[in-house]
Order: sequence, then C-alpha cells, then structure tokens
Amino acid sequence: MKAHYWIAFVLSLSLLPATAPGETQPPGPQIAGAEIMEKEQQAFYSQGKDMKAEIRMELVTADGKKRLRSLTMLRWNDPGSKDQKYFLYFREPADVRGMTFMVWKYPARESDRWIYVPAVDLVRRVAARDARSSFVGSDFTYEDISGRNLAADSHSLLREEKLGDRDCYVVESVPKEPTDYVRRLSWIDKITFLPLKEEYYDVQKELTRVFTADRIESIVAAAGGEQKSFPTVTRRTMKNLKTGHRTEVAFTAVAYNIGLQDAVFTERYLRNPPERWIK
Amino acid sequence: MLNRLVQFAIARPKTVIGAAVIITILFGSQLPKITTDTDPKHMLPITSPVRQYNDQVEREFELHPDVLALGIVNERGVVNKQTLGRIADLTSQIQRIPGVIVRDVTGFTTIDDVTVQGGELAVRPLLERVPQSEEELASLRRKLFENPAFMNRIISPDGKATAIYIPIEPTANGKEIADRIRKLLPDRSDGDRFYLAGDPVARDTFGAEMFRQMGLFSPIAGMVMAIALWFMFRSVLLIAANMAAAMISIIWSMGLLIWLGYPVHIMSSMSPVFLMAIATDTVHIFNEFFFRYREVGKKKQAVADAMAAVGTPVLYSDLTTAVGFASLAITSIIPVRIFGLAVAFGTLVILLMSFTLVPAILMLLSEKKLDKSIEVADNKAIGAGAPIAGKASFLSRLGEVCVRRGKIIAALGCVLLVISAAGIYRIRVNNNMVHWFKSNSAVRSADREMNQRLGGTSTAYLVVQSPNENAMKDPAMLREIEGLQRALEKAPLVGKTFSVVDYVKWINRVLHNDDPSFYRIPDSLEKVGQYLFLFGMSAKPSDLNNVVDYPFQKANIILQLKSWDAGAMKDVLAKTAAYLNAHPLPAGATVKPAGIAYFNLVWNQEVLWGMLSSFFAGVALVLILLFAQTRSLLWGGLSFLPLLFTIAIIYGVVGLTGKDFDMPVAVLSTLSLGMAIDFAIHFVARFRKRYGESADLQDALIWTVARPGKGIFLNAVLFALGFSVMVFADLTPYITVGVFMASIMLLSSVTSVIYLPGLIQLFRKQLLKGEKR
Repeated sequence: MKAHYWIAFVLSLSLLPATAPGETQPPGPQIAGAEIMEKEQQAFYSQGKDMKAEIRMELVTADGKKRLRSLTMLRWNDPGSKDQKYFLYFREPADVRGMTFMVWKYPARESDRWIYVPAVDLVRRVAARDARSSFVGSDFTYEDISGRNLAADSHSLLREEKLGDRDCYVVESVPKEPTDYVRRLSWIDKITFLPLKEEYYDVQKELTRVFTADRIESIVAAAGGEQKSFPTVTRRTMKNLKTGHRTEVAFTAVAYNIGLQDAVFTERYLRNPPERWIK
Repeated sequence: MLNRLVQFAIARPKTVIGAAVIITILFGSQLPKITTDTDPKHMLPITSPVRQYNDQVEREFELHPDVLALGIVNERGVVNKQTLGRIADLTSQIQRIPGVIVRDVTGFTTIDDVTVQGGELAVRPLLERVPQSEEELASLRRKLFENPAFMNRIISPDGKATAIYIPIEPTANGKEIADRIRKLLPDRSDGDRFYLAGDPVARDTFGAEMFRQMGLFSPIAGMVMAIALWFMFRSVLLIAANMAAAMISIIWSMGLLIWLGYPVHIMSSMSPVFLMAIATDTVHIFNEFFFRYREVGKKKQAVADAMAAVGTPVLYSDLTTAVGFASLAITSIIPVRIFGLAVAFGTLVILLMSFTLVPAILMLLSEKKLDKSIEVADNKAIGAGAPIAGKASFLSRLGEVCVRRGKIIAALGCVLLVISAAGIYRIRVNNNMVHWFKSNSAVRSADREMNQRLGGTSTAYLVVQSPNENAMKDPAMLREIEGLQRALEKAPLVGKTFSVVDYVKWINRVLHNDDPSFYRIPDSLEKVGQYLFLFGMSAKPSDLNNVVDYPFQKANIILQLKSWDAGAMKDVLAKTAAYLNAHPLPAGATVKPAGIAYFNLVWNQEVLWGMLSSFFAGVALVLILLFAQTRSLLWGGLSFLPLLFTIAIIYGVVGLTGKDFDMPVAVLSTLSLGMAIDFAIHFVARFRKRYGESADLQDALIWTVARPGKGIFLNAVLFALGFSVMVFADLTPYITVGVFMASIMLLSSVTSVIYLPGLIQLFRKQLLKGEKR
C-alpha cells in the first residue's frame, strides 16, 4: 500500500503537468488488450531515444541471505526500427567487475548477445534462446528485463479496477507456445501505461511469481528542444512465491536522451567499456 | 485397594460396565482422527542436532528432502525417438501433478546443459525438442556421454537407463503422487521399462500398507486367539469377556495416542496385536472362577474367591509387562517411545479391567445359564479329556526327566549359551527402510534396478565449510574437493559424486571451445568467480544454489549411494576422514555430513544404544519386581534365568542367520522382557506354594511341570498363534515381529518348564534353606 501512495504522490506532483493534454485522457473501455500491452512495452522498455541507469539488484533468499549484483546499463533505440541495443557493465560482486554483456534486441526474432570474460580475456557469443531463464540468478528473466515479443502471447482486457488509488487495466496474457507460465495478469496504469503489478501462474495454475513496481519517479529530460517528463519505475521487486526468494531492483542516476551512439554497442567496447558513459 | 475395586465391581456391576462403555466411546471418538508418520527423520526428536543441521543444510542449499526417481530403461538404449518422446511427455505431465515442485523436476528436458556450438555459448535444457534425425540422436548421445555431470545421474554408462528426478512438497503424499505417475506410464511398453523409486514412495507406500496390515492382522489375530480359546476352554462367555478387555484396552490406548496428537508409526501400528495377546491374562480369572463356582455354587462368592486367588499373579505379570514396555520410553527414538508408553498404558487398562469389568461381567451372568454352560463345558471336557490327560502324563514324565537329568540339561544349556554368544557377537546393526518391503515388491525391485544402473537412490551431503567468504572460489580449495570426490568414488557403494568443481571444470572447457584439455580447475579465484557468474547468468538458480551457499563460504558435495544400508555411509565417513587427514583443507575448513543416508546412520546408532540402555533398564525394573514378588534375591534371580536364556538364544540365531538387527528386532528385546517373564513368575510361585504344602521336592517339581506347566504351554501357544498370523504380512517388520514374538513366547515357556525344575534341583540347598516346611 505504501508504495502506491508514494507513486500517487510523485505522479501528482510532477507527472501530470508535464504530460501532453491528449495523453491524460484515458482511452475508452473498448481498448483492446493487445493495444494496452503495446503501450505498456513502449512506456516500460523503450522511453526516450536512449537511457542510462545504475542498477542495483539484491537477491534475497527466503531466510534473508543476500547476494548483490550491481551494474551500469546503457540502452539505445534504433530510430529507424523497433530494434534496441543494450550494454551492461558489471561492477559487483567484486570478482566479476569488468564483465560486460551486450544485447542487440529485435522485436520478433531472437536477439544477438555477447559476453566478455576478463579473467580469460575472451568474448563469446551467447545463445539467446534462453529468454525465459533467470537473469544473473535473479527472479527476473531476460524477457522481464528487456521485454517479451508481444505476438508471443494472446492478450485480453479482463477488467478495469483500482490498484491502490491508481486506475488500472487488468490484462490477461496467455502464451501461444508452452513456456514457464501459462497465464499472466498485468495491472497497467491507465495514465502512464506502466505495469504496477504482474502475476505469473504456472502449469499447476498456481501463482508463482509476482512483480510489483514499488516506486515510480518522473525523470525530466530534453526531448525535441523542450523538457519532457518520463515516468520510470525506479524500484521494483519480483518475488517467487514458491521458493520465497525475491529480487529487489533499484535504478539510480537514471537519464534519458543522453546522446548515446550506435557505435558504443560493438564488440570492441565490450573489452574496453566506453569511458564517457561507464566510469 | 484392588480388593476394594473388586468389591465395588461385585456390588455395582452395571455401573462399572456403563462407565467402561462411556469411557471407551470417549476414547473411540478420537480414532477417526488417525494419521500416520513414516518419515525416518521423525525417528529423532526435532531438537536433535542431526535433524536440525540436516534441515539447515537443506534450507541453505535449496535441496528438497523428498525426491522421487522415475527410472526408464530400454535395452536398445534410451536415446531413440520413441523413448525420448515419452520422456518429454512424461516430464511435462508430471510437472502438472499438484504437490510436484515444478521448477526442479530434473530430466533430459529440464536439466541445464552448457555447450558451445559454432563459438556460441548456450545454457539450455539438454533436450529441447525430440530429435527426428539419426544425426540429432547421435549429437544428443555425444552430449550425454561427454559431460561427466550427466553420467550416472541421468544416463547410465551403457546408455540403457535414464531417470527423471521429481522433488515433491514436504506436505505432499509420496504414494499418491507415485500412483498418479504410474497412471501416466504408457500401457504398451514397446521395450521401455519404468521404475519408480525413492524415499517418499517407500515411506508413503509403507504408511498405506501399515493401515491395511493393521486392519487385517489385528482382527485375524483376534479370531485365531478366540478359536484357540474355544478349544481350550469351550466357553463363549470367556472369549467374549477376553475380547472385551482386549478391545477396550486397544481403544483406550490408541484413542489416547491420537488424542494427544501423535501419529501412528510402524511400531504403534502393532500395538493392537500386542494388547490382544496381553489380554489373554484374563484367562486365569475365568479359569479360577469356573473352578470356584463348581465348588461353592454361589456366583458372588466365586467371583470374590477367584479374584483373591489369582489377583496377585495377575497384578505382577501385568505390572512386569507394563514395565517392560514403559522402559522403551527412555530411548531417544520417538516412535518407539510412543509405542512403549501406549502399550504400557493399554496393559494397565487390561489390569484395571481385570479387577473391575471382568468381575462385573461375571456378576451379570444368571446362575442358571452358568450352571448350564458349566455342564456343557464339563461334558465337552470329558469328551476331549483323553488327549489332555495324555498330555498331562507326558508333562509329568517330562518333569521327571528334568529333575533327574538336571546336570545334563544345565550343561546343554551352557553349550547353547556359548553358541548364542558367538551368534550375538556376529550381529550386524543395520536399518534399511527399503528392506522393510519384501524382496519381490515393486518398491524394492525398482530400488534394486535403479541402484544397479544409475548412481543410487540414497543421498548424502558433505558440506565443506570455511571461515572465509568466497573460499569456494579458491582453486586450492576446489582441488581438495575434487580430490575428496575421487577418493570417495573408489567406495563400491558410492555411485556418483557432484560438486561445484564439476561445473567449474565444465565451463572452463566450454569457454575454451570445448577443448577437453581445459576440463580442469582454472588457476585463479577471478576465473572461478567469473565462470560461475557466467554459468549463473542463465542457468536455473538452483543449479548453483544446490552446491554453494550465497557467500561462497560453504560447498555441498552431493553423493548418491547405491544402498540404504548404514554401512555405506559409514564407509563414506571413514574415507572422508582419511582423505582430510592426508590433505588438510585451506584455512582450516571442515567437512560435515548430512542427508538421509547420514541420518540413517545416526539413527542406526541411536537404535543400538537406545535399545541397549532401555533393555538394561527393563532388566533392572523386572528384577526389582521379581525380588518384590518372591521376596528373595535368589528366587528373583532364578525366575529371571529362563527369560535371559530365551533372549540369548533368539539373538544368537539373529547373529548366526545374518538377519539385520534393525529397529523392530531391537525393540522386541526390550518388550519381550515383560511378556516372557510371566511364565517363570507362575512357575516359581506355584512351585513354592506346593512345596510349602507337601515338602517333597521331587513331587512338587513334577506337579508344577505337569499342572501349571500345562497352563503355561496353553498360554504360550495362545500368544504364539496370535502373533504367527503376522508371518503372512507384506511388510517385513510385521513378519519379524510375528516370528520373534511367537518364538520368544514358545521358547520362554519351554525354558521355564524345562530349566527351572533342573535348576531348582541343582541349587536346592541354597534356594530351599529359607522355605517354610
């Protein structure tokens, strides 16, 4: 509950005045599930031309033991298509500092990935078929981090309801091919189109994972010569109800439209990360 | 006190019977709440350090305590289209069964395989889609045999067997899940054979069987005893009253046990049979009553006289029995403790019934009917008189032999004792839960097949613990862990070892373009750390969590053992200690065992020492009671000898035949104390009374062998018949208990009747010095 008050507070202060008038009007009830999810993907995974963030992931076991992952993430949206490029630089744990990971993501086909292992000075391509596997041992999958192909699920709008004091669409997504979940419910904010909560159900139809957006901040950045506000989920949690394990993620130093270049996302920079962005 | 009870029962029989019925209904109302518990871990209290450490290890490494294993065997090799298709289908169907832990079902389609192909690293399930071409099949075969992590776990060295490991929730019922899995198996084998094994199957199948056996054998034992009673005494009333006392004690004790919230365990499931046998003690009262009634002809007087005559022996024989069972309470093994106390309580209920309900029932009989039934009984007895008379004369001849050949009999006894001692020396203490099933049972043959082909169905953990974080990334530490694994694998019963080292070496090889010469531990902590991070970037988190803890301070070596015998784990511990002696771990790191195999070993030792101590406590208590009853050290000791002799012979036979000394056998030694001593109590008491009257030693001995001796044999036969039906059980502990109780009772009756006269004759000077003439 606390998180939702906070969201409301932040949003009411900064988001609403900065949003264009057309966007404040929620679309009519006839809006289709797929359309909502498309807007969600745009809001959650692709805002701005590019993005940079310091990410701190805490992996917490059921009995409270913690493992830390900290990394810097760069994202660049291809202006000519829906392709995206990601660059991850790992800082912690200490013995993996300097490991880098690069993803070229395409909306409807498998992405290309590379990893650099400094201890043996090797760059290796990594198979991308494991989009549903755990990202660095966390409760998030690769798809949870960078978005899932919209066409892989059938989406339907179940109902509209308040979550806390935010008006939400509740969308049900059912995978077309068998995967680790058989049903996902998303509570999507009618104004920001950010997911406030997601529930994943497994093959036994039991609730297994729950995503919550715990804090949403508006990040102001230059966009087309004026200041624009980007509502961003800066704290999120994925909890596995079966294992009691959870992963808490905090985004800090979030910046949009910083002028990243396509050239940064190449194998050369995997070995020598671009100093301008990653110190 | 007892006298007053009897007086009250005689005065107000209806009140007594009514009260008994009401209390019985009260206890009986608890029976539907019955639950069973067959988890061997619950043998030790929740506070025991072994159990607590075991729970901690399972939590820390995200290990599942309950795992089923579905073995799939095909003599043409399991890597073929049909079998692989079935494995894929079965795995996904099994994952849908409620209670199965979906994420950690491990088989071809779910196990992570780290590979490099065309320079591209991949962490993927080994079998993503069923291969259609011969080429794909060959590639799968290569993957299976190249990665040592798979060998003996999900593929047998000959390629003919694989397994799906199915962890289940601790609250789920293993047998129910096993039954649902069996329903999924294809009707036509087409060369595939399926075996379902694992601790939860054994446990919960056992629990279900236990109910069946309890429901089947308790009534059968009751019927057999009733029929035997009929042939001995020819009285329906006597049988009915005996059964009433037995049923009431069973309902009270089981009701109390369930009321207090205890589940029924293998041992307590046998208490009805024990209580039924113990209830035959009431026979003495009826016998004496009929006898007295013939003499005095007045019901009330006959009841009072009979109770006065047999009251003391009944009191003492029931007390010794209760004490024998209650002494089980000092063991640390919970189910044994509960069983001992439940039967002790039941015995006291029988004792109470003997002094209340039984005289009350007798009081309700009309004297007319009584006269009639005595007439019938007398007629029948005359009709059947010839063989009984013949037996009596045989017994008196036996008595003469015993008295005359006392020395020879004593010498023979000594020889038997020496042989028994040799046998006892060879006793092997072992608890093997799988051996609780018969050799040809589904559970046991599945276990045997899986142990022959794959790594083994019994699991142990060796937890390496360092004082420092990140110690498990240190190549020096990893080399020692690897060395320990190789040393352990030399043990014939260790089928598989697995640790974080196996991942590190494999990733080293895969990163270096699958070059087999890189299948080794790298030389720096950074490399190990980055390899494991790389592995953890896409592998199932549990892959890594099963073998290292979060701060990399502890590593878990997972062992698969091919036997549930405690000896297999003992060997592992010895080899571990020897290795660590020669190769101390960096920074003083230690190794601590856990897992079900280690648990069985600890429990095994508890069984031996726990039973030994409760045996000696039982001996002491029974001796004290004997001294109290005979009011003499010598006579008390003498009364004890036949029992000691019986136990020595029985355990001598156990040692000589090589039967495992397991929990049921161990428990029997203690509880047989209180039951088998009854015969000697009767013999000595009757002899001393007779000797006091006649003062002719030989005559008194022969009379005792012939008259009370007959009663003793009848009693023993009744006991033995009741227990012998358990021989037909499907579960070996029941068979063991049946055979042992029957032979202990028969043997102790024989030793009482044969050895006591000989011993009394031999030591007459010392024994008879204080006897009044």
